Amino acid sequence: MKRPAKVEEVVGVACMVVLVLLTLGNVLTRYFTDASFAWTEEISIFLIVVMTLAGAASIAARDGHIRIEFLYDGGSARRRRMLRLVSAIATTLLFAVLAGLFGVTLADEIKWGETSMGLGVPRWWFTAPIPLFCAAIAWRAGVAGWHVWREPASPDPVVALDP
Amino acid sequence: MIGTLLFVVFIALMLAGAPIGVALGIGGIAAIAAANVDVPWWGLFAAPQNMHASIAKYPLLALPMFVLVGSIFDRSGVARRMVTFAEACVGRAPGTLPMVAILVAMVLGGISGSGPANAAAVGGVMIAAMAKAGYPAAFSASVVGAAAATDILIPPSIAFIVYSVNVPGASVPALFAAGMVPGILAGLALIVPAVLISRRHGFGESERSRARPPFWHSLGAASWGLAAPVLILGGMRVGWFTPTEAAVVAVAYGLFIGIAIHRSIGWRDLYPIFREATEVSAVIMLVLALAGIFAYAVNTLGIADPVVAAVKNLGLGSTGTLILLFVVMTVLGMVLDGVSIFLVFLPLLYPLMIAFAWDPVWFGVLLTMKIAIGQFTPPMAVNLMVACRLAQVRMEQTLPWIGWMIVSFVVATLLVLFIPELALWLPRRLGY
Repeated sequence: MKRPAKVEEVVGVACMVVLVLLTLGNVLTRYFTDASFAWTEEISIFLIVVMTLAGAASIAARDGHIRIEFLYDGGSARRRRMLRLVSAIATTLLFAVLAGLFGVTLADEIKWGETSMGLGVPRWWFTAPIPLFCAAIAWRAGVAGWHVWREPASPDPVVALDP
Repeated sequence: MIGTLLFVVFIALMLAGAPIGVALGIGGIAAIAAANVDVPWWGLFAAPQNMHASIAKYPLLALPMFVLVGSIFDRSGVARRMVTFAEACVGRAPGTLPMVAILVAMVLGGISGSGPANAAAVGGVMIAAMAKAGYPAAFSASVVGAAAATDILIPPSIAFIVYSVNVPGASVPALFAAGMVPGILAGLALIVPAVLISRRHGFGESERSRARPPFWHSLGAASWGLAAPVLILGGMRVGWFTPTEAAVVAVAYGLFIGIAIHRSIGWRDLYPIFREATEVSAVIMLVLALAGIFAYAVNTLGIADPVVAAVKNLGLGSTGTLILLFVVMTVLGMVLDGVSIFLVFLPLLYPLMIAFAWDPVWFGVLLTMKIAIGQFTPPMAVNLMVACRLAQVRMEQTLPWIGWMIVSFVVATLLVLFIPELALWLPRRLGY
C-alpha cells in the first residue's frame, strides 16, 4: 500500500541508520585502534527508545499494532467499527497519560539538573523526545479513530509483521 | 481484588481488539493507581519509569539489528542460490523440494533472527519452484511456514534476545548455543512428514526427469550466502564480536552481497528495507516497553505468589507442570503471537521457574519451541500467513498438511523437554 512518509517514520528510520553506523564504528575502531568508543552506549540506548516510539507512532497511524486480529476483523461492519473506536480511544488515552507522566518526569529532571551516568550531560536531553513521541502516538491513534468515526466504511488496516 | 482488576481490564481490552501493548499498559496503570489511591499522583510515576527501563537496555540493540539482517537477507538473493546448491546436494525426486525448502530455511535461520523474514525469503523462491514441480500450493505454503519456524531456534534468534533481556541468568550467547541442537532436531522433524507426504501422494514426480544442478558451480554461487552464518556464529564463538556487533557485521555483509555481488538490492531499496526493519522492531519493542508496566504491577502487587503456589499445589511435579504450561500457552498461542504471550506470562513464569529450579536456558529453549509452533499453527500463525500470501492460498487450505508438521514439531519439543541435555550440552561444551 502506498502511503506518504510521516515525520515519525523518517525519524525512526534515521535512528535505525545511526544505530547501525554507531555499532559498526564501534567494531571497527576496536579492531584498528586501541581507542574505546564505549561512550556511544548511552546514545545508542537513547536511539533505541526514540526508534521504538517513533516507529510505534507511524504504525499507530495505520492501526497496525499486534492484537487479536480474528476478533478485530471478524463480525458485522457495525461491530468492527465499534472495536476500532474502542481501540483508538484506549490507545489515545494511554499514550496521552504516558505523555503527561513523562512530561512531569522531564520537568523534574530539568529542575534538579540531573546529569547522565555515562556522558555527564543533562539527563533531560535524553528524556525530552519521549513525551513528544508518546503524544505523537496518541495523536496518530486519535486521528485514525476520528476517520473511523467520520466514515463508517473505512478500509481494513494493514496487518503488521512480528517475529 | 486489585489483581482481578488488572486481569479483567487487560482481558476486556484484548477482547475489544485493543493492541496488546495498550491492553498491558492500561491494565498495569489501572492496577498501580488502584493500589496507591492515598499516595500523591497515585504512584503512577512507576509507569513511565518501568516502561523506559524495559527498552533502555544496551543488549536489546541486538533485536532491531537482527530484524534488519532478516530484511536485508530476504532481498539479498542468497536464498535462490542456496536452493540451487541444496538441489545439487539432495538431487531431484518426490519429496526433495520440500526437503530443500526446510534445509535452506534452517541455514537462513543461521543468519536471520525472525520467522516471517525467513518465510518471505524461502517462500519467495520455493513456492514457485514447488508449484512448477506439481506440488499443491497449500502444501508448499505449509512446508515453508513450518520450516521458517526453525529460524527462531537456530541462532541468531529474536525470541532468545527478548527472553535474555527479561530473565536473569540466561545470557544471549548461552541461549544461542542452546537453540542449535533443538533447532536442527526441529528441522529434521519437519523433513520427515514433508517427504513422507510427498512420496505418498507422488508430489514432484516430474522432478525426476530434470537435470541435477552442477555441484561445484552451485556451491560457488551459494558460497557468499553460506559464509554468512559462519561469519555470524563463528565470529561470536571466537569472541570477535558480541551478538549485537555480529548483527551489524551481518548487516554490512548482507548489504555488500545484495548490492555488489548478487546485485539484487539497489540504492532505492535501502529506504524500504530500513523502514520495514524499523517498524517490525518498533511493534515488538513497544509491547516489550508496555509489558514492563504490567510486569511491575504484577510483581509489586504480589499477584504472582498465590498463582504460583496454586500451580505448585496441583501436585503435577516438574514435568507435569511444564506440560500443563505448554498446553495452556499453545491454546493461547492460537489467538496471540508467541512473544507477546511470553511477555504477558513472564511475571508468572519466572517465579515458577525458580520454584521448580528449572534451568533458565533450557526453559528459554522450551518456551521458544512453543513460540515456534505457534508461528505456524492456524489461525494466528505469522509465518504461515506470509507463506499463504506468497502461495495465494487461504490458511484453511493448509489444514490437511500443516497438522502433521505440528505433530512432528511437538514431538521434537517433547524430546527436549524430557532430555534437557539436547539443549544444555552445547552451551556447556562451549563454556557459556
